[in-house]
Amino acid sequence: MAVDDLFEGYAAGPWWDEMLEGPGAPRAASLGLHAALQSLSAADLEERCAERDRSFRDRGITFSLSGEERPFPLDPVPRLVSAEEWSVIERGVAQRVRVLEMFLADVYGKAEVLDDRVVSRRLVATSRHFHRAAAGITSPNGVRVHVSGIDLVRDAGGEFRVLEDNVRIPSGVSYVVENRRTMARIFPELFASHRVRPVADYPARLLTALRAAHPDSARDEPVVVVLTPGIHNSAYFEHSFLARQMGVELVEGRDLVCRANVLYMRTTAGEERVDVVYRRVDDDFLDPLHFRPDSQLGCAGLLNAARAGNVTIANAVGNGIADDKLTYTYVPALIDYYLGERPVLPNVPTYRLEDADQREHVLGRLDELVLKPVDASGGYGLLVGPSASEEQLETAAAAIRADPRAWVAQEVVQLSTVPTKVGSHLEPRHVDLRPFAINDGERVWVLPGGLTRVALPRGSLVVNSSQGGGSKDTWVIAGDADPQGAGTRDTDGTERTAAAALAALPANLRSPDLAPALVTSPKQQQQQQQQQQPGKPGALAC
Amino acid sequence: MSWRIATRHVSSYRYATPVSASYNEARMTPVASDRQSVLETHVSVRPSATLLRYVDYWSTTVHAFDVHEPHDHLVVTGSSVVETAKTELLAVEVGWDLLHQPDVQDRFAELLLASAYAPADASLTEIARDAAGLASPAEATAAIGERVRTHLRYEPGTTHVATSAVEAWRQGSGVCQDFAHVALVLLRAAGIPARYTSGYLHPHPDAAIGETVTGASHAWVEAWIGRWLPFDPTNDEPVGERHVTVARGRDYADVAPLRGLYHGGALDRLEVTVELTRLG
Repeated sequence: MAVDDLFEGYAAGPWWDEMLEGPGAPRAASLGLHAALQSLSAADLEERCAERDRSFRDRGITFSLSGEERPFPLDPVPRLVSAEEWSVIERGVAQRVRVLEMFLADVYGKAEVLDDRVVSRRLVATSRHFHRAAAGITSPNGVRVHVSGIDLVRDAGGEFRVLEDNVRIPSGVSYVVENRRTMARIFPELFASHRVRPVADYPARLLTALRAAHPDSARDEPVVVVLTPGIHNSAYFEHSFLARQMGVELVEGRDLVCRANVLYMRTTAGEERVDVVYRRVDDDFLDPLHFRPDSQLGCAGLLNAARAGNVTIANAVGNGIADDKLTYTYVPALIDYYLGERPVLPNVPTYRLEDADQREHVLGRLDELVLKPVDASGGYGLLVGPSASEEQLETAAAAIRADPRAWVAQEVVQLSTVPTKVGSHLEPRHVDLRPFAINDGERVWVLPGGLTRVALPRGSLVVNSSQGGGSKDTWVIAGDADPQGAGTRDTDGTERTAAAALAALPANLRSPDLAPALVTSPKQQQQQQQQQQPGKPGALAC
Repeated sequence: MSWRIATRHVSSYRYATPVSASYNEARMTPVASDRQSVLETHVSVRPSATLLRYVDYWSTTVHAFDVHEPHDHLVVTGSSVVETAKTELLAVEVGWDLLHQPDVQDRFAELLLASAYAPADASLTEIARDAAGLASPAEATAAIGERVRTHLRYEPGTTHVATSAVEAWRQGSGVCQDFAHVALVLLRAAGIPARYTSGYLHPHPDAAIGETVTGASHAWVEAWIGRWLPFDPTNDEPVGERHVTVARGRDYADVAPLRGLYHGGALDRLEVTVELTRLG
C-alpha cells in the first residue's frame, strides 16, 4: 500500500459510482483495478500522466475546442464495464439500431408507420433533417445506419438508459482506439491482469461493412473512400485516422466528380471509380444539386449516382429524421411496432413540447429539467435547468413558446461517476458512454468499449468533448463466452490491421498519409459554381 | 368530352462563355391523374447526355443529367401527348368537420404547413379566417380564388421567380405563380390542405384540331376538400381540358421545370417556349 491514498476523501453521492459500492468498498468487477490504483502513489500517477501526454503529443492527437487545438484529455483511470453489463448494452444498442433502420426504410419508402399513426406525419414533415430528395434511394444491402453512436447514461439505480441516438455522423471512435493505445503504454501491468476486450479491430470491421454495402455495379474489390470536409473540420483527425487505418483514400469534395451518375476520384494515375463513400460531410453540404447550392464540400450529382445504384453513401442521406430528438421519444413505441419487443435499454423520461399539457408541465419546472434542441448534436444549445440563470430560463421559456417543435425537455439523470484524477488525487466525476455500432447488413456489431466522456468540473453533467469534457478508456471485461480477451492485443493489433490493409493496395497508394497530395485539383473547380436559372413562368403569359 | 394535346416545352440556355460542367434535373413530364392520361412522353437534352429517370417524393417524373463537354448552349426539350378532361364536380360536399379530424390533419400535415414561397403571414391569416367562417370548405375555396383575383393584378414583369406569396400580395400584382402561392397561403391558413400545381394552359377554348399554337407554362392549385379539387386562381374558370398537369408539390420549389448547377460563365440568355397542339 502506498503512503498516500489516491481515494482519500472520495465522496459518495446520490448517484451510481461505477467503481465503488460504498466508501472503500469496490464493486466485484473493480476489485483488481481498485487495488492496483491504491498501490499507486500520487507521484506514480503523475509519472504515468506525463507518459500519456508524451504519447498523445508524439502522435499529434488533438481535439479542436472552439477553434483551438488541444491534446485530447484522457483521464488515466479507466471506466470498467463487466461482461454482464456489456451484454445488456450490446443487445440494447443492436435492438435500437435495427429499429432505427426499419424506421428509416419505412419513412423513405412505404411510410406505413405514418399510415398506422405510430409517428405523426407532422413530426416527419417538420423535421429539418427529413430529406425528400432521399426518398426512393435504397442501399444495396438495405443498410442506412452503417455507423451509429447511441449515447447512454447510467441512472442512480445503476440502469443504463439511452440519452440520444446519433445515426448521422457520430464521431469519437478514433479516440476510443487511441485512448486504448495510450493506456496500454502507460498501464501495461493492468492489461496483464485484466481481460480487456480489444477495440483495435474497429477500422477493419468498418471497412468490411462499407465493402458489404457496395452497389451491384462494383467489381471484385469495391473501392471505398473517406470523404472529409477538410483539415479545418473539428473531426479531421478522425477522418484521416480512419482512412489510414482502413487503407483507403481520404478525399475532399474537390477530389471527386460525378459523370453520368458514376462517381470518380481524381488521382495522379487518372480517374478511379468509387463504389462506397464513407462521408463525414453533413447532408446539407453533400450535393449542391439537391442541398445547399453554394457548398464546395460535397460533390454535385452524388445523390443521383446513389439513386442510380452506382455508389453507396454511408451513412445514408436523410438519417437525421431518425435521431431527431422528437423521434427519440417514439423509439420505445417503434421497438414495439417493428419488433414486438420491449426496449432492452429504456429512454430517459422526455417531454414533447407541442403537447399543450406536457409543455405547461415543463414550463412550470424548467429549472429542474434539461432542455435540448431537437436537431442539434454535440451538446450545442443545451440548457441544464438546475444550473441555469433566471435570465437563461426566461429566454428558454420564450423559445419553447415560440417554437415548441424545436425542443424537447428531459428529466435530469444523476449520471454515474467514475474516479477521475483531479489534482493529485481521485474524485468522482460524472460520465456517459457512447458505444459505436457497425451494421454490415448481416448483424449489428457493437464495439466492446466506446467513448466514456467525463464532465470535468465538479458536479457538472455536461460531458460533450465539444463542450470541454474529457474522456476515459472504457474497458469491457471479457466474459467466459468471449473468445478474445488478452490484454496487449490492442498495442500490436492496431498496427496489424493497418499493415494488412495497406499490403492490399497498389504500391503508388501505399502511403495513405500522402493521399491528398496525390490528388489533382482541376481548374474547373476554381470557377464559380452557379445555379441554373429555372424556366420562369412569368416570362410567358400565364 | 376530352382533349388530346401534344406538348413541346423547350428551355434554351445560352452562356456568355463556355460552361465546363453542368448538373441538372428536369421536371417536364406530365403526370397521370383522374382527369389526365399520359400517352407519350419524351425528354431530350443537347449536348447529348445520359438521362437518369426517376419518380420523386411528389410523384413527379424527373430526368437528371450532367454535361461535361464544354458548351455555350444547353437545350432541354420535354414533349408529350396527353388526354385531358374536365374536373368532375364534387358528388357530395364535405363539411369542415371532416377537415378538422385529427387523422385528416395529420395525413395532409405537410400541405397545411407554411412553405418557403408560401410563408405564414398575419394579414393573409386574417383574410383566411373570413373564408374559414363560410359554410363549407368548397365555398371557402371559391371565395379564396375570388379574393386572390380581386386583390392581385395580373402583370408580368412585376415579380420574379423567387418572389414569395407575401411579397406579391403586398405589391398587389404578379403572374400565375404568384396567384397560386397566395392562394396556397390562404387555403392552408383556412385549414384546407393545398398543393401547387404546374403545367401548361392551352390558350384557346375553341382550339382548331391540328393547329400548333404558342402556349404557356402555367401554375394553379389543388385543394383537398374531401378529394383533390384543382382550381385556377389566375383565371376565373374551372381546370379542364386546356390544363395539362406536369407536377405537384408544396410550392414552386418542388416543381421547378429545370433546376441545376454549372461551372463556367454567366448566363447570357434564357428562352422558354411552350407549343401546344390539340390533336383531338
